[in-house]
Formats: sequence, structure tokens, C-alpha cells
Amino acid sequence: MARMKFLCDTERCIECNGCVTACKNEHEVPWGIQRRRVVTINDGVVGQEKSMSVACMHCSDAPCMAVCPVDVFYRTEDGVVLHDKDACIGCGYCFYACPFGAPQFPQEGAFGQRGKMDKCTFCAGGPEADGSDAEFEKYGRNRLAEGKLPLCAEMCSTKALLGGDGTALADIFRERVVRRGGTGAELIGWNTAYGGGEQKREQTRGGDK
Amino acid sequence: MCAHLIVMLRTALLAAVLGLGWIAAPAVSAPPDNNADVYRAVREGSAQSITFTAPADQMLIQSEGQTWRQWRNGPITQIGGWVLAGVFIALVLFRLIRGKIKLEGPPTGRLIQRFTTVERMTHWTVAGTFVLLALTGLTLLFGKHVVIPLIGYSAFSWLAALAKNVHNFIGPLFFAATLVMIALFVRDNLWQSIDALWIRKAGGLLSGEHVPSWRFNFGEKTWFWLGVTGLGLLVGITGLVLDFPGYGQIRQDMQLAHILHASGALIFMALSLGHIYIGSVGMEGALESMKTGYVDETWAKEHHEYWYREAKGATGAAPAAPTGARPSGAH
Repeated sequence: MARMKFLCDTERCIECNGCVTACKNEHEVPWGIQRRRVVTINDGVVGQEKSMSVACMHCSDAPCMAVCPVDVFYRTEDGVVLHDKDACIGCGYCFYACPFGAPQFPQEGAFGQRGKMDKCTFCAGGPEADGSDAEFEKYGRNRLAEGKLPLCAEMCSTKALLGGDGTALADIFRERVVRRGGTGAELIGWNTAYGGGEQKREQTRGGDK
Repeated sequence: MCAHLIVMLRTALLAAVLGLGWIAAPAVSAPPDNNADVYRAVREGSAQSITFTAPADQMLIQSEGQTWRQWRNGPITQIGGWVLAGVFIALVLFRLIRGKIKLEGPPTGRLIQRFTTVERMTHWTVAGTFVLLALTGLTLLFGKHVVIPLIGYSAFSWLAALAKNVHNFIGPLFFAATLVMIALFVRDNLWQSIDALWIRKAGGLLSGEHVPSWRFNFGEKTWFWLGVTGLGLLVGITGLVLDFPGYGQIRQDMQLAHILHASGALIFMALSLGHIYIGSVGMEGALESMKTGYVDETWAKEHHEYWYREAKGATGAAPAAPTGARPSGAH
């Protein structure tokens, strides 16, 4: 049985936010909630800037699952951490515990109370029947049931974000590590895309100024 | 083949640069495929920008959640649960050994007012909301372990949603009533020199001896300062931080508030068991005083002798002067 994982290759992520947009669109995620986000460190510092896309990491020892007072979380056979929105009471404990800020809450009612928690489902829906309207309404599309992988990773333009069986991802990543050298844009093939390498890149930048 | 050559050349060049010590450009601190530095920086929240941030969530990867989880699932749930159970068992044992504290003399039938209507209304508002908050809070902390096996997952989810909403809406009322109660009772809970005697004799709780006091003895004062005031304000303020998440508090603030709230509330509940015991089944006449506002003169004389004499003095009967000195300002 597969053990589903996400992997984001920071040597490739270009902070295009395509994954975020794909996710929001595919699942019709409500306003104010992002199941996936992109973080950039050392933004604008030449040679040190790194970006990565992060969502629910479907932990083996999931903190959300450990602290939930009503036990709404469950793990599928593929190792995907899902939750039952019908039983969620909106206490926010999973949001306190999660390292990745995955659980998020829509505001409801006169006092802006927390509604039912929403998070990345690894495109695997929820407890409702696979592909049903009820499932889509609450959790978004169930792509795994259709034999497809998460859309964020499938649509990633630089294939920085990978989603799928951990063993397969590890093989892909290992091969990348073995083949490539250098850092940053060199890795995704600047030469291939634009030709001229570093010199050309510097010239282009100069021309922009 | 060409790419391979370039890699080889780059490696050779890098080795040459390192060997000669020409490090003009920023050095590559870690191997290019090792993202440990990146993840470390992200966890520290240093120099990072997030494309989408929520007010409560200014760090993408937070390690504090793990600490919160360990506190909440560890000592708070486990020690807290055993402390509550322990106090309950201790009270049952106390009752079996010491029995109900009864009046020693016969009741006179003459009544003295001990609590005004406002005081009683405030007390019962605080008491009622406290019990509701305690029960709903316990449901959220222990329900997963205790109630789900009994009534099942779906029924418990319904119960927990009710518990959360009752807790969130009753909480601010409890806080407001607590503030009123502190203001009403603070004067008579200030230190009085006779309290030293109560401490020396441990309130006569085990010996059965009556220790004289003014309106409130040191046991009641401990409950007032430690329980009502200290823990009441602690759980009240941290509760507001948790109850209204949209006022700029970030996740780490709420984690800390929750730890203080839960541990404070468990100590509060443990202490309250003692107060509820002595105020109901543990002592004859105690419940009537808060129900009706009046106590029998015998009760007043036995439990609060100085206060009794003072009250008698105020109603015109001949009081014997209390022997203990009293501070100015306390009435």
C-alpha cells in the first residue's frame, strides 16, 4: 500500500503560487482559507532566496489527531490524514498544535466564532461516498478516488512540488540529487530555457533597470 | 554528456576556488541538495515572507504547537484528572472520618443576616456559571477518553458542540459576575490578626475545635483570594483571549492562554470541590446561609464568633467585646 507524501524541492520552487491557485480552484475553497501556501525565505537576497510550498503534511504522528477533543481525524490506507466535518466542533485545538498551519477555520455567527475546520485532503475528500456532491461540498474533489494525484503537485510548473507514494517520490528526488549540481535557477535549466547561462542572465537584469 | 562535463568542470572550479581561498561570492554553506538550513530558518520564522498570512498565523512552520500538545495531552490531562479524582476521594474520606459538622448547641431560632440579596444573587450567578463551565470544560478535556466509549462518536460530537458553545457564551458572564463578587467581598476578606489563630489550629478542621473569626475565617479567605480572585481572574482573562480569536492574538498567544486556562481551571475545580462540600453536605446551616441570607445565632456564634458579637452589637443586644484586635478599615 502506498504511503502518500508531499515533497517540495526548494531548489526548484519559483514562488509562482500555481499550486495555491490550483488547489483553491479545484476544491472551490471558501474565501479566507488557503489549504496550501508558499513561503519564501531571504526574499530578494540574491543566491539565498528559497521558496517552498507547504500544506497539510499528512503526518504519521499527526498532532491534530492527538489533540482533537472529538476525534474527528482518521488516516486512510494511503496514509492520508482526513477529518469528519460533521463532527468538528470548531474548537481550534488542531490549529494550535499543527506545525504547518494547515487547519483553518471560516468565521461564523455574530461573534466570528470558528466554523468547521478546513484543511488539505491530499485531494482525497472525506468520509462521504467517493465523488458525491456532499463530499465535494465539504472537502472538495476526491481525485485519489479517480486515480489521480493532488492537483497542486500535478500542476507545478517546475515540478518542485511532488505528491504521491513516498517511495516513488524518494526515487525521483534521489535521482535529481545525483544528477544536478549548483543551486537555484541553474537546476531547473536556465541554459535550456534561455541560453547563455549566467552572463545572459546578468545582461537581462541590467537591461531591465 | 555535455551536462556531465559542465558538472565536472564546475566541481573542479569549486575545488580550485576553495583550495586557493578565493571566496568572494557568498559561500555555499551546505550542499546544494540539503535543505536543512532552509527548514531550520522557516521554523525559526527568520527572514521569511509568506504569500498568504492570517493575523493569527505569522509563522509557517511553528514548533510551539508540539510543546502545547505535550502539555495539554500530558500533565494537564493526566495530572489534572488524577488531582480532581484525588480531591474527590479525600472529601469522601473526610466525610466518613469526620462526619457532617453539626451545630453543637441547640438553634435559638433567632436569625442574623449573613448575606444580602445582591451578594447572594452574585454568588449564585458565579456558582451556576462555574458549574456549567466546569462540566463543559471537562467534557472537552476528558470526553474523548471517558464519554466517547460510553455514548459513541456521533452523539459525543453533538454533546461537545453544545459544550463548546455553552462554554464560550457563559464564560464572559462568569468573568463579569466574578468581578462583581470580588468587589462585594474584598473588604471582609482582608487580613485580620485573628486569622493567625486559624492557621495555627488548621481551622480546627481535624480537631473539631471552633476557631473564632470575623465574618470570614481564613479558610474562606484562602478560597476568596486563591480561588475566586486569583484563579477566577486567570481563567477569565485567558478565557477571553481564547474566546475572541479575532483581536490580533497569534497562535502562540492562544497556546499559552490555553495552558494557563486549563491548568488554572483544574486547580480551581479541585479547590471548588472543597468549597462546595463544606457549603452543602459538609456543614449544617452553611447552605441555608447562602440560600436565605440568614443564619441562626448559634451557627454564627460557633463558626464566626467575632462577627456574631459585632452583629449582636449592631442590633442593640449587649455584646461582649471581642478579644482580638482588628484592623481599621475592615468592618
